[in-house]
Amino acid sequence: MLCARALPAAGTTIPHGTLELVAEDQWITAGHPFSLGLRFELEPGWHIYWLNPGDSGEPPRITWQFPEGLTPGPIEWPAPERLGTSSIVDFGYGDRVMLIVPVRVTAGLPAGEPARLGAQVKVLVCREMCIPGKAQLSLTLPVQSQPPAPDPRTRDLFRGARKSLPRPAPGNWSFRLEDANDSFMLTANLGHKITQAIFFPLAESQIENAAPQELVPRDTGFRLVLHKSDQLQKPLDRLKGVLLLSGDRAYLIDVPLGKPRTAIKRYGARTRPA
Amino acid sequence: MNRSNRYTLLAALVLGAIPLLISAAKVGDAAPEFSASASNGKSFRLSDYRGKYVVLEWHNNGCPYVQKHYNSGNMQRLQKQWTGRGVVWFTILSSAPGKQGYATAGEENDYLVKMQAAPTAALLDPTGEIGHLYGAKTSPQMVVINPQGIVIYDGAIDDKPTTDLQDVSRATNYVSLALEQSMAGKQVETVATRPYGCSVKYADSAY
Repeated sequence: MLCARALPAAGTTIPHGTLELVAEDQWITAGHPFSLGLRFELEPGWHIYWLNPGDSGEPPRITWQFPEGLTPGPIEWPAPERLGTSSIVDFGYGDRVMLIVPVRVTAGLPAGEPARLGAQVKVLVCREMCIPGKAQLSLTLPVQSQPPAPDPRTRDLFRGARKSLPRPAPGNWSFRLEDANDSFMLTANLGHKITQAIFFPLAESQIENAAPQELVPRDTGFRLVLHKSDQLQKPLDRLKGVLLLSGDRAYLIDVPLGKPRTAIKRYGARTRPA
Repeated sequence: MNRSNRYTLLAALVLGAIPLLISAAKVGDAAPEFSASASNGKSFRLSDYRGKYVVLEWHNNGCPYVQKHYNSGNMQRLQKQWTGRGVVWFTILSSAPGKQGYATAGEENDYLVKMQAAPTAALLDPTGEIGHLYGAKTSPQMVVINPQGIVIYDGAIDDKPTTDLQDVSRATNYVSLALEQSMAGKQVETVATRPYGCSVKYADSAY
């Protein structure tokens, strides 16, 4: 093989970067799902946003243009980074990121005619300032009757992107969420001590993004204090989000809010309907 | 130390650690007092407008979300509509010198004329003092204060957090809704939302 890099830079220009639509497989096969990747390469210092952008900005929005028989699934978002200053914090990705999109393929898709996949992407790219961009992407893939085969040119890209996807929390871990006046207390029992953890809520306006998340290490895990958002107008049922442990391992968690303890009720002025 | 005491101590520690965040104006609280120089050379003090509704609009003319509302004429329309009904409308520039959205008095006056904007005044806040007082995070963040001096709305201008001009006409405007409902003696339905837009370019902003 002559090329050392997985792919030559072949992206469409977006403000301060490029965007490219890539496929994990060499061809499409009826009845076999496959994955597409939206590969963002940004100039140093520029960033785009996560599903929940935090205090400012907005996530990329994609309109798919697919032939009949192909159905896009939801974007698989890698764990984000905290971006910002003391009073304003956003959630997003700097430098480069690939968003993976699974695609379902109907069993009746006829082989022969190649499939042209299109995507219109609206993306806000920011550094000190924000610039909205729009890109029209396309990718043509053969449709064959033989089983799908991975494309060696994109294998490393997809492998790298999957590593940064949050995974489901192991079944033997347990979490508890309690309402404590102006904060939520997230307690994690993982069976071992944790000294570093950041929580990223999937939904906006639940926690104060810029507030420091105070971590209390415990022998069996940790406790994290999440300051409530001023925009939170009604009590939460649950908190869903990405938990980043020790800087690189990310897990998806979904923790129902437990009943407030009497002690907390006495301390807190805010009460919740039962 | 039992568990409940630990919670209390922990909560106190956390609250103490972020005075900036919890001291910012909140819906239902008295609007923090401020005074500022406007681009027209006059000085304005919030408490002089007790008895009137006051709208605060955080502004940055380089922000694409702000440009959506000015290039579509939406912001000017709102300013004319509501000042025409006795509302005091302050456009506030909290960008630090050298940052996007910073403007001298002369530059801002030129902008107001060019855009045919019609706020009561454009207040110059280059130190970010008023911005921090209200916890302003984005432009165009909007705050509505009632005649009693209470914050009755804080958040986004509308429910379409995009830079698309076409979204303006299909959006629900939260500022108009709050003013209409409050003036009609009704409960304001939506009192706080995520204030979409560009981050306010305070002196310490890097994003």
